[in-house]
Amino acid sequence: MTDAARNPAEATTFLTRATLIQALLPIALVLMVLGFTIFEPRVISADNLLNITIQASYLVIFATAQMVVILTRGFDLSLGNTVSAVSVTSALVMTGMAGANGESVATAIFLGVLMGAGVGLAIGLFNGFAVAWLRVNPFVATLGSFNIALGIATMASDGRPVFNVPDEFSRLVYSGTVLGIQMPIILAAAVLVVIYFLLNYTVFGRSLYILGANPRAATVAGLPSRRYLMMAYMLCSLIAVVGALMLTGRTGSGEPNLGGNLTLESIAAAVIGGVSLRGGLGGVQSCILGALFITALSNGMNLTRVDGYVQMIVLGCVIILAIFLDRLRTSRM
Amino acid sequence: MNEVANATKTARPPAAPSGDQSPLLEMQGISKGFPGVQALDAVDFDLRRGEVHVLFGENGAGKSTLINVIAGTFPPDAGAFRFEGREVRGLTPHQARVMGISPVFQEFSLVPDMTIEENLFLGREITTGGVLNSRSMMRRAREVIDELGFHLDPKKKVRELSRAHQQMTEIAKALMGNVRLLILDEPTASLTEAETVRLFGLIDRLKHENVGIIYVSHRMREIKQLADRITVLRDGRLIETLDADGVSENELVELMTGRKIDVLFPAIEHKPGETLLNVVDLTLADRSVEGVDFHARAGEITGVAGLVGCGKSELIRAIYGLDDIEAGRIEIDGASYAHPTPARSLKRGICYFPSDRVVEGLALNRPIRENASMAALDLAQFARLRVLQRASERRAIQEIVDKLRLRPPNIERIVANLSGGNRQKVMLARGLTRETTLFLFDEPTVGIDVGAKIEVYELMKQLVEAGAAIVLVSSELPEVLNLSNRLYVMHRGRMVAELTGDDINEQAVLSSFFQDEREVESA
Amino acid sequence: MNVRILQAQPHPETGLERASRVAATVGLLPILLVLMVLFMAVVEQKFFGMNNLFNVLRSTSFLAIIAAGQMLVLIVGGFDLSVGAVIALTSTVMAKAMALLSAAMPDQTAAVIILGVLAGLGCGVFIGLINGLCVAFLRISPFMVTLGTLSIATGIGLLLTNGIPVYGMPDVFVKEFGRALWFGLPATVYVAVALIAIVWFIQQRTRLGRYIYAIGGNLQAATVSGVPATGYLVLTYVMCSVLASITGILMTARLGSGQATMGGNVMMLQSIAAAVIAGVSLRGGIGRVELVALGALFLSILTNAMNLLRIDSKMQLVVLGIIVVAAVALDELGKRRRVRD
Repeated sequence: MTDAARNPAEATTFLTRATLIQALLPIALVLMVLGFTIFEPRVISADNLLNITIQASYLVIFATAQMVVILTRGFDLSLGNTVSAVSVTSALVMTGMAGANGESVATAIFLGVLMGAGVGLAIGLFNGFAVAWLRVNPFVATLGSFNIALGIATMASDGRPVFNVPDEFSRLVYSGTVLGIQMPIILAAAVLVVIYFLLNYTVFGRSLYILGANPRAATVAGLPSRRYLMMAYMLCSLIAVVGALMLTGRTGSGEPNLGGNLTLESIAAAVIGGVSLRGGLGGVQSCILGALFITALSNGMNLTRVDGYVQMIVLGCVIILAIFLDRLRTSRM
Repeated sequence: MNEVANATKTARPPAAPSGDQSPLLEMQGISKGFPGVQALDAVDFDLRRGEVHVLFGENGAGKSTLINVIAGTFPPDAGAFRFEGREVRGLTPHQARVMGISPVFQEFSLVPDMTIEENLFLGREITTGGVLNSRSMMRRAREVIDELGFHLDPKKKVRELSRAHQQMTEIAKALMGNVRLLILDEPTASLTEAETVRLFGLIDRLKHENVGIIYVSHRMREIKQLADRITVLRDGRLIETLDADGVSENELVELMTGRKIDVLFPAIEHKPGETLLNVVDLTLADRSVEGVDFHARAGEITGVAGLVGCGKSELIRAIYGLDDIEAGRIEIDGASYAHPTPARSLKRGICYFPSDRVVEGLALNRPIRENASMAALDLAQFARLRVLQRASERRAIQEIVDKLRLRPPNIERIVANLSGGNRQKVMLARGLTRETTLFLFDEPTVGIDVGAKIEVYELMKQLVEAGAAIVLVSSELPEVLNLSNRLYVMHRGRMVAELTGDDINEQAVLSSFFQDEREVESA
Repeated sequence: MNVRILQAQPHPETGLERASRVAATVGLLPILLVLMVLFMAVVEQKFFGMNNLFNVLRSTSFLAIIAAGQMLVLIVGGFDLSVGAVIALTSTVMAKAMALLSAAMPDQTAAVIILGVLAGLGCGVFIGLINGLCVAFLRISPFMVTLGTLSIATGIGLLLTNGIPVYGMPDVFVKEFGRALWFGLPATVYVAVALIAIVWFIQQRTRLGRYIYAIGGNLQAATVSGVPATGYLVLTYVMCSVLASITGILMTARLGSGQATMGGNVMMLQSIAAAVIAGVSLRGGIGRVELVALGALFLSILTNAMNLLRIDSKMQLVVLGIIVVAAVALDELGKRRRVRD
């Protein structure tokens, strides 16, 4: 009655083939790092490996944000500009409060973070409302908020960086350590744990997978699809806020161009790691893998002094190749 | 037919002399597998010129796979395929049409946002150097439609047509050009009596012109009237090919199911109790259902029969909260139930099983466990404070899956890898995850094998005898005839009959369609 | 109210009814366009200045050409994120080729120009082929393929120029074509009108056009009806890239130098916005080039009007974003209403 019952041999070969394809990316990652080591031994040094991990912490956060909406068959084009808008507005609040009114630095930081979260959630609300209630295609909806967020970021800052973000803030999210571990790694790990729990242990997370795998089945099963869809976009923006604050702490200023290529990079990282654009497939482990892969690739190319422009070309080829592998992986189902 | 053929550009090759008895189509040992199912298993089939060869079998028996292989939709995994004496290999749909193989599928091969004329000529436009000759195409489209006696406006978009008119467009499309072999897959499923008569006239003419016709149908009346030979398929295997003369209906059904009829359908003890569902004067926003009254009682199966597109499935979808209601009243357990939504329906003990499990039922790339529990995530057994109780979920679903005899009973398997019967069991499991008193079945046995079918009927029997109410909507007449305690007949969005006891028979159901049509014509 | 008039039979169509019928068939776009022009006529006289109108027409032309290509890909159910990058790549390759060639053969300007333009168009064909082949044969999601080629094309453009503008194109090319007025209108406008006419002809009068609609409207139906879908898919992506390439050539001719930053993501997003505003369905199968040209005109006039009214350029982004989402939301709403009727 089932394929296994009819043809056990076929079932087992399918299994091994599937696992083989699943293991392809980790293997490729290791081979790539080893390959770079031949040209530049420093690649595999402890310092550099730590460096890669810290670098990947940022990308993994944005990839996770993107994954939450990709699971529902959407994506968020506005993510990069949301990061810019959050960076600028939170930096403005922090510098303004700390400078003029003589408020304590802690209050200033707290209010700055609050401001950033507010801006991020507002954009997420806009996206979620447009997609879930107005039924606007996610591409168009987030294309709209792409412009809106960019407008907010440049308007608030007049297009110039906002300097003098308190050192305390940078220490909090960037240079500080806990038990000898760098803050970016700790924050990224915290985000991953929370999202892992949400996706695997809550009704909300379960519903996102079902919603993405078959939206009409979710409706028939009585799941409140619209509400969850809206929450997914808000969660996506909220995770992006965390990453945006971390980047702001790293540069020590609010940057209206901070987001730049983040949207496309985050989508690429999530999808390369195995989050399916057709919805309903993927997890935080995919994002970790994808982010590590892209970061290690560009780190290796940097250390082996590959031209920055050539790197763009390589990245483009890698994206297409990875998605092709993804299709092989999912088409057998 | 020659007029039609001549009306198009391609000239028909000279017809073979009528004495030529070499088969038009010969297939030997055809096999085809899909993930989760062996759709065809070493099937032999042949078609003579000028004959109507009926393919008979249940849904999922392999009929549609076979006609898809003949039409070149996909290649067989194994087997020999000869058309007009020539070996055929690597057939594409396009080549098939050029060779004169014309399929009329149930899922129409029409582009909804294009006009009838554009659809008729799709893939064989009349052009000069790639530039369309619109005027002559429009003229020929009109000629063909008039020739067939259909009332269609070639400038209309297919999206705006009724299902019956889309069916006619599909037939007209198949008859454009040079036809040697015509495949008709349940062509009358959405046609009225008058339209059916016209179609049969057309089939007769084609026979006289030596066209071979493969005809898929479940309807005994049609089979008796049209068939020269009948091939019966079951679970992807050839059971028998027989001459149509002197074959009895019971014989065919037994060949199809492999069971005596009384074994296929369990004897159900209906004990009608209180009225659980009462529908008064219901009209839907899209007018697919108009002014319908009906009710269902605990402890009995209430059947609803009707042609494809008659509104029977929209009726139960509206009760569950999937289609918009414009007017009328629904009462559940005597209490008014306004503005139904799926979530509220589930809370009230109503569960709906959609006919299309792939489109509406299952999250294919998720495991059985998640698919079975997804309609009950509001219950404490599955989630507390919105946090999943994964251990308790696993236990509960495993228990239900064991009860439904899902094989293998591994609840972490991905649903996409399951056969049709097992997929339906996963759907049914959903009704058992929570307390349900009213089951709404929409074509519950489409695309599942006989074994699974019997199990589904058995489950219905258990549910009804335990006191649940079941509404069974089905286009398979034997199913509703044998299982229902009361049977409603719908036609064009209205209830036209309610049958009980000995009145539940094929003749009564069909005559209620005719009666309605006579009324329409006299009106 | 006069009851007798209400009962007059058959009652003639009132102005309002006719307006709503027209709106239902052609959409809101032309009406909004007229309203906006009327508004500008009242508020800001500078809008009708010759120079300003030329600017509007030029930017409309650029946008309309690239949006027409985007529309074709959207109709087959795809997406092209790489159009902006194709503009940049075309610009640098063509300028570079012309600069090298005119140094090599200074006397043969015509040959230099023709070869340079061909080199530019070659970029479009090249990227379009990659896109089309990956989508049609490897069946990779168009979003990701064109994201990849976006990165590749941008990278090549930057690599060739190191990010520095490329000068040295023949003067004739810039003065007599890029910045020229032919019969009182910018040359670009004639090119755009011709291209829109060609695309319109393809859509309405050729087999190719029908196949493009059929592939996006119902791929399965198109395949079983004998439409060689994969080939036509590739062709559609190539057409889109070539149109983007032509935009790149026109923009470069106007600017007088090849730039790797030309086009970019802004042009790409605007091309999608123009198509979507004009009612092209992201689900495929629906879209008409004449409306897309109107969409491009609408966006250009809107941007120009906001500039003239001295609306802050950042604020303009916000307005643009809201308009795009609102247009699609309204469209979606209208569709749902129609289904209910």
